[in-house]
Amino acid sequence: MSNYPDIPVIETRRLRLRGPEVGDYPNFKATFASYRSRFMGGPLNGYEAWMLYAAEIGHWAIRGFGMWMVHDKATDETLGMAGGWFPAKWPEREIAWIIWPDKAGRGYALEATHAVRRHFYERQGWDGAVSYIDPKNLDSIRLAERLGCTKDHDAATIDGSDAVYRHPTPDAAASGQIRDGIELEISHYCDPLFKPRGMPVD
Amino acid sequence: MSLTNAPLLDTPRLILRGPEPRDAEPMIAFLLDQERAAGFGASPDRGDAWRWFALNVGHWHIHGYGYFTIEDKASGQPAGITGIWNPEGWPEPELGWVVFDGFEGRGIAYEAAERARRYAYEDLGLTTLTSNIVPGNTRSIALAERLGCWFEREYDNIHMGRDFLYRHPGPETALGRDDDGSVEAYA
Repeated sequence: MSNYPDIPVIETRRLRLRGPEVGDYPNFKATFASYRSRFMGGPLNGYEAWMLYAAEIGHWAIRGFGMWMVHDKATDETLGMAGGWFPAKWPEREIAWIIWPDKAGRGYALEATHAVRRHFYERQGWDGAVSYIDPKNLDSIRLAERLGCTKDHDAATIDGSDAVYRHPTPDAAASGQIRDGIELEISHYCDPLFKPRGMPVD
Repeated sequence: MSLTNAPLLDTPRLILRGPEPRDAEPMIAFLLDQERAAGFGASPDRGDAWRWFALNVGHWHIHGYGYFTIEDKASGQPAGITGIWNPEGWPEPELGWVVFDGFEGRGIAYEAAERARRYAYEDLGLTTLTSNIVPGNTRSIALAERLGCWFEREYDNIHMGRDFLYRHPGPETALGRDDDGSVEAYA
């Protein structure tokens, strides 16, 4: 793959976020063929999944940002995707995430999303972001709340079937209260001794 | 601003180049034209059409080929698209073409598609090519036949449903015809 969009690599305690590569496609396809993708337009057949994956890559080239592939830093296996999404019809730039069904429940979405939000705020100058979430997608709503988002009842939605969760501003996200809470929770996921019980699956 | 590493191809009246940001709106307008885009796969809404523009860029990055924008040299405007298409579920790499509103009736699709076919054979090294045409798309069938294609079979396309598969002449035949004003004459 030549002239691939120049996508920065983001590292966190357990994760390495890289641009979507051709070799990562089978895991993407498997998740989007599954019930797991029901809140993200799925399940998709092979043609639809491939076209969406191509759009993920095209989004990077067109917008200069997009969805990273989330890798386990130790094994390099993919765990899901997290990043920014702003196709036509989206009222605002969105921070989005999806974790493969068999990788859920380990705080990967929280860790990845916290890192990409920080990247957008501190490196790309974003002054805010939203997440569009199906009201039935309780796991994602819970994750948005753990990220410090609040439901914005007045903001424009994509098509009326989604709820808008507004992320804290760059200043608020960098403040001790929100950031420390997220990082404490991530540290609990990282250290099995303090693995929380009964936590949300994402 | 180039979004891909597509080469720049030249014909007497046209430039074939990779998709650029300024091509998004003409492409979206085409895809939202339900009648004109029926044979290609029209988009139900602007979001879907934009996604097609983005996924064509991704197609270039994944395969190293995709749809070129056909630029009309005289006006500098995007006049359509042509190129090689091969998403998952496709029977085999396909040569496709579309001409935008206001550019038909001038042989632009023929001139562009023939150049793209030469690129596929000479630069990509493909040894055969197809074009998938929905039944009833008589203009595309006529162009396919003008390009020397023949009807090979009917099949069920994962996206378009019932579909006709036309087979192009191979590299020897397609590139060897230099006596009828076709590909070789443009070299």
